[in-house]
Amino acid sequence: MTKKTRFSPMSRRSFLKGMGAVGAGLGAGLGSTLPAFAKSARLQDTANLSLWWWADDLTFGGWIEDTIAAYEAANPGVNIESLQQDVCCVISQFTTAAAAGEPPDIAFLFNGLYHMENVWLGYLDPVNNYIPLEIIEQSNATALSRYQGNYYRVGWYPVPLVWEYNKDVWDQAGLDADNPPATWDEWMAALETLKTAGFTPFGGGLSDGFWGEWYLGNALTQALDSPGEAVELFIGDRDFREPKYWEFWTKLEEMARGGYLNDDMLSVDLFTAINKVVTGELAATQNVGAVIPSHIAQIGDRVGLMTMPVYGQGALAGVPITDSQGWGIPTATENKEIAADFITFMQTPERLNRFWEMNHYFPANRTWDSSVIDDPVIQLMWDKWVAGNITVYIPNLMPGLFWTDAMFVSAQEIVAGNMTGEQAGEQNAQVAQQWRDLNPDLIENYRIYAQSLAEAENATLEATEEA
Amino acid sequence: MVRTRQITPYLFVLPLVALLALIFGYPLVKVVDFSFKRIRGFDGAYVGFDNYNAVFADPIFGEAIKHNLILLVGVIPLVLISLVIAIALYERMRGWRIYRTLVFLPYIIAIPIVGVVLKNMFQFNGPVNETLRAIGLEGAALDWLGDKDIAIYTVLGMIVWRESAFGIILFLSRLLSLNEELIEAAHLDGANWWERTRYIILPQLKGVIEFYLVIGLITLIAAVFAYVYIVPGKGGPANGTMVLELYIYNWGFEKRLPGIASAISVILFMVTIVFMVILFRMRRGAAAEALQ
Repeated sequence: MTKKTRFSPMSRRSFLKGMGAVGAGLGAGLGSTLPAFAKSARLQDTANLSLWWWADDLTFGGWIEDTIAAYEAANPGVNIESLQQDVCCVISQFTTAAAAGEPPDIAFLFNGLYHMENVWLGYLDPVNNYIPLEIIEQSNATALSRYQGNYYRVGWYPVPLVWEYNKDVWDQAGLDADNPPATWDEWMAALETLKTAGFTPFGGGLSDGFWGEWYLGNALTQALDSPGEAVELFIGDRDFREPKYWEFWTKLEEMARGGYLNDDMLSVDLFTAINKVVTGELAATQNVGAVIPSHIAQIGDRVGLMTMPVYGQGALAGVPITDSQGWGIPTATENKEIAADFITFMQTPERLNRFWEMNHYFPANRTWDSSVIDDPVIQLMWDKWVAGNITVYIPNLMPGLFWTDAMFVSAQEIVAGNMTGEQAGEQNAQVAQQWRDLNPDLIENYRIYAQSLAEAENATLEATEEA
Repeated sequence: MVRTRQITPYLFVLPLVALLALIFGYPLVKVVDFSFKRIRGFDGAYVGFDNYNAVFADPIFGEAIKHNLILLVGVIPLVLISLVIAIALYERMRGWRIYRTLVFLPYIIAIPIVGVVLKNMFQFNGPVNETLRAIGLEGAALDWLGDKDIAIYTVLGMIVWRESAFGIILFLSRLLSLNEELIEAAHLDGANWWERTRYIILPQLKGVIEFYLVIGLITLIAAVFAYVYIVPGKGGPANGTMVLELYIYNWGFEKRLPGIASAISVILFMVTIVFMVILFRMRRGAAAEALQ
């Protein structure tokens, strides 16, 4: 919620004057070698701002408070009040507040459609209007934050999608824990070995749906040549009935029918289940990077990480997947410049290092000095899922209707043995059609978004080729 | 005597009526208005009856109604269990004061807390099934929350368990205010426990039973969201515990189509009105019968 300013609000003119003075000082005194984010402008005016946040690991909130305190100390008169949100309501609360003209000044935003639908409603401003492009791109907000050439988020911390396994369990089963399976056949053979050795080979908790979302993110991606192809599946340019688009469900079916999944999968929630990989009750599971440090704290370097073994023929098969949490600037806030300055401040080297110090987890910014990483598992995550060649998390392109009525239902029905992969494809196609029927006004936006994604993907490919 | 104009009393109640109209009437009008629009943000394009058609064409709507009806049947065990336990406590069985406190405990604990505890207990490998397996009842260790054909009955059992606490205390309060002389007289006349219950106690509880029946029906139609969201998880597995409340929530917040959520709300509102009219007519008929 935008707070009334306690003192006089800063005008655009005074902001530009301040920025101009700082720019002149930088130019004259420091030359052009100083990084763009070296020091955010010391703001002269006063204002009260609100910041709404959520994080995969809520202890990251400590860093937010620390950053606010540091920013307020550097900018006397600016007061930022933070509000932690519940995961259920991050987007709906923002949309409601924005519609009422009372959004926060700085908003935590999930990636992809979760914030893009708010862009289309006019509730978010392009962050590149206020923050240098260089900083935005370094922040690794990912291509899913781009629409028609504009960026709508700045990255905060990355969310690598990993397959995690317990190396001790794998050793006991006689598997090579340092060389995890790379292909699907190798994977299925490993599952059989684990099962024969008396372990629960793979699994998680499906009662709240998120494990299914991760599975779709890991598995459907392997059928795609670009993230935009996923959007085309939803808008009807492609069809879930095509075998290549439901093959990923058959892989889950194979594991369920083989008895390789934990038998309580449908009655437990995500985190209750995936934490069992630490105790060895599960030999392997899906996970996200932000949770890994807590597992390392318990079993150290016996945490094994891998990407989903390759089964698909798409160009994205086998490419590590990384999502990114981020920050945006609502259109209705009166404090856009200060909000932008605060977000820029978050990207300064001192703040990025502080994030590592406080959380033992890395920020999303690719320019962060990763030499401080002192753990081989986290180093692997950084090298492979952040600094390396990565792709985006496609469930962020999935309409809400598809999440509840297709992904959630199909995953549970397949694990229960009530549905085949092909039937899931049929069901998914029907739900996608239902979504199109009910949202004809969004189709064009999605189509433009798919084009933006394709452009971003091409740019990434070109950059990779050049590198 | 001061003569008042006919309009004067209405002027006195006008402020309160206006306030009520604002608090209840305005949202109601907006919900009806939304139900004919494709809402984006706070408003949207008029789409006629499209939202209603979409609801009736959606198979999950039928599932939700079916599950609400299953839960509605639960009002019978809810009332009966409450009644039997209340009467047993009224008979001052040994330790009845402790039992009275114990049976009311679930009701004062928030549903999310009860839900989390019960979810853990009824997981496939949770304490309930582990106990069953330990005593050799492997076959009875069902997937209480993970089997979509069973989960709704597990939820029903949990609702009856928690909600009956309110009924027990309600009935017990009424029982403790009964004229004990009547029951003593029945005792002296040789009436046994069943006869005392049937002819002395139950007739005097009629009003409070009716009240609790209505409360129970409302609870089972419109206050089970937290149970199905937390215990099996989001109305799963595979919509196996989907109910109308969660269905409305999903359309409004997960599927981000508040117009359709509003259409379902209007349908639910109309059905509730019909229920209320039937109930009031029945009560009016019963009252008239009693006067004759």
